[in-house]
Amino acid sequence: MANIRCVNIRKSYGGHSVIENLNLDIADHEFVVFLGPSGCGKSTMLRMIAGLEDITGGTVSIGDRDVTHLHPGERGVAMVFQSYALYPHMTVEENIAFGLRRQKVPQAEIARRVQHVAGLLGLESFLQRKPKNLSGGQQQRVAMARAMIKTPKLFLFDEPLSNLDAKLRERLRTEIRKMHLDLKTTTIFVTHDQLEAMTIADRIVLMRAGAIEQQGTPSEIFDRPATRFVADFIGSPAMNFRGCVVSRDGGSVSLVAGSIRLEVPASEFDGLQHGAKVEVGLRPSKMDLAAEGDLNAISGKIILVENMGSEAQVIVDVDGQEMSFVTKAFRTLEPGQPVSFSIEPASIHVFSKETGRSLRKAG
Amino acid sequence: MNNRRFLFWTLTPGFAVLAILALISIAGALYFSVMDRSLRYPDYHFAGLYNYQRLLSDRRFLNALQISATWEIVTVVGSLVVATLLSVLIFETVKSFWIRNLICFAFLAPVLLPRVAAAFIWRFLYSPSLGLINYLVGLTGLGPVEFLADPSLALMSVAIVDIWQWGLFFTVIMLKLLETLPRDPIEAAQLDNARTWEIHAFVTLPMLKAPIISLALVKAVESLRSFDLIYVMTGGGPGTATETLDLYAYQAGINLGGRISYASAMSILLLVLTTIVFTLIWRGIRKWSV
Ligand SMILES: Nc1ncnc2c1ncn2[C@@H]1O[C@H](COP(=O)(O)OP(=O)(O)OP(=O)(O)O)[C@@H](O)[C@H]1O
Ligand SMILES: [Mg+2]
Repeated sequence: MANIRCVNIRKSYGGHSVIENLNLDIADHEFVVFLGPSGCGKSTMLRMIAGLEDITGGTVSIGDRDVTHLHPGERGVAMVFQSYALYPHMTVEENIAFGLRRQKVPQAEIARRVQHVAGLLGLESFLQRKPKNLSGGQQQRVAMARAMIKTPKLFLFDEPLSNLDAKLRERLRTEIRKMHLDLKTTTIFVTHDQLEAMTIADRIVLMRAGAIEQQGTPSEIFDRPATRFVADFIGSPAMNFRGCVVSRDGGSVSLVAGSIRLEVPASEFDGLQHGAKVEVGLRPSKMDLAAEGDLNAISGKIILVENMGSEAQVIVDVDGQEMSFVTKAFRTLEPGQPVSFSIEPASIHVFSKETGRSLRKAG
Repeated sequence: MNNRRFLFWTLTPGFAVLAILALISIAGALYFSVMDRSLRYPDYHFAGLYNYQRLLSDRRFLNALQISATWEIVTVVGSLVVATLLSVLIFETVKSFWIRNLICFAFLAPVLLPRVAAAFIWRFLYSPSLGLINYLVGLTGLGPVEFLADPSLALMSVAIVDIWQWGLFFTVIMLKLLETLPRDPIEAAQLDNARTWEIHAFVTLPMLKAPIISLALVKAVESLRSFDLIYVMTGGGPGTATETLDLYAYQAGINLGGRISYASAMSILLLVLTTIVFTLIWRGIRKWSV
């Protein structure tokens, strides 16, 4: 068990800088997810912590020990790769036991632990098979067994579920989460799937172009996005954005764009001067059909109703631009109908046009 | 013309020529091996299995058999061991793309040399009075070593030339094979705390088992045909210390006795023996590598 501390981490390939001065602290027992678009440096960061990639600058410590220049095998970390990286010529049993054999653990002890781990992951009947004779999900479990058996201080997962079908992915996600509840091993999990990140993480570290854009619990990230980038990246269906002009009228503040007029509590925001141009973000899932006399109602014409089972995403033409909202009461909605939907003031996000930062006051 | 017919008519002539050439020479050898044909007399008669019987009690033949077997094992194992060690060493120590390519280029040169040229170069290097190697040996204070004239060293000295040519060539092939391996299992092994030699012994080389076996088979066939190298370097000598089966067959049939029938019998035995041995090895490998 261990806490992780990354200080001023830099990484460049040749002259090309991939990560710039990244600082990150991870507490013992924490389950952290690195989330971000493709190419933002998630894998690179993970591999530097594992020791598979040289660190250009800065230090990494695991359990208060500086491991920056330590061999990967000596860091006490276990990693599950996207490709599983099983040893193709070895049986499942040999794959799982390989690490312990290298550590010269006695044979009887190895056999006992292999049995135990195989039992946990339901691999008992596959122990004598070669990886190529296993399904993707089974290979994935072998990779997890190989990581678990070492009782590492730190688990690293690099998109371990992305080669599996949706159903299996969901099941293994739950299993990984359960495993973490049992073992409480500090874990870093890389994914570019925001839903996966939301469901599994204690804390999400959202990265963008080699820097941390925001970190926090899944609800913090979802409800209080610090930047427009985060707001856009998180949540499905994606957030609606509209450029608006601030209009102050006595104590009340409105954000105006065409026929849209949204009233927000002035005390919760900074920098809403009269006439300022801002970017407003409205989550489809936070909006619903407007009742009579609702505040902040938006009207438009329905373009499309996308049935998602228990609810639907309704795409609406508002002043010639598309917006969407989600509702359970979609059975009566038809394309072409006029519709009106509303949002609570507490769920309205306002971002600076220049910096993209949220104008909502902290706290 | 449909596809099958096309295949038939394009392949048949080639195969026919090959088959005829092989069959005629084998049939010829078989025919002579049961005669008592010798260049000394114009006539010859049926002699039954006499030549074969004599072979089995011919000590020079048995010696050649043993030399041939030793030669096969030493050159095949030697080339592969050299290739494995060198390729892993280069893979681990030389990271620069350019230097690697330069090394590969240099390592390809020996095998491009005609055998006879390689043989002459090394005869010169091995020479007790003029050779570079003996000059270096001299610096350490030891007397000149008769690499090619000392019966206990001659075979190994020739084998070194063969390994120099093929071991370096195989090094290049194995280095390229190592470079094609996926990185992930190697990294997984690093995280499993395997040391570098353990990674290669337990992960990379086992992953390359199939191509390495192919290299071994290629080399085994190639080593059977080292007549020119041995002939130029030692001529089978000193005495019969480097006389392999093909050298002895040549000596008996053409060079010395002109005993064509005897040499033919020897060739037939050699053919049967290699066929049996290779079939067994092939079977064994197939069983072992599934
Ligand atoms: N060996 C390398 N040489 C040069 N650039 C590299 C190398 N490896 C990665 N990069 C660059 O570093 C950046 C980060 O790569 P990284 O693999 O960490 O992305 P990622 O966030 O894991 O993306 P993905 O979600 O697609 O896996 C990318 O822009 C990539 O082009
Ligand atoms: Mg990645």
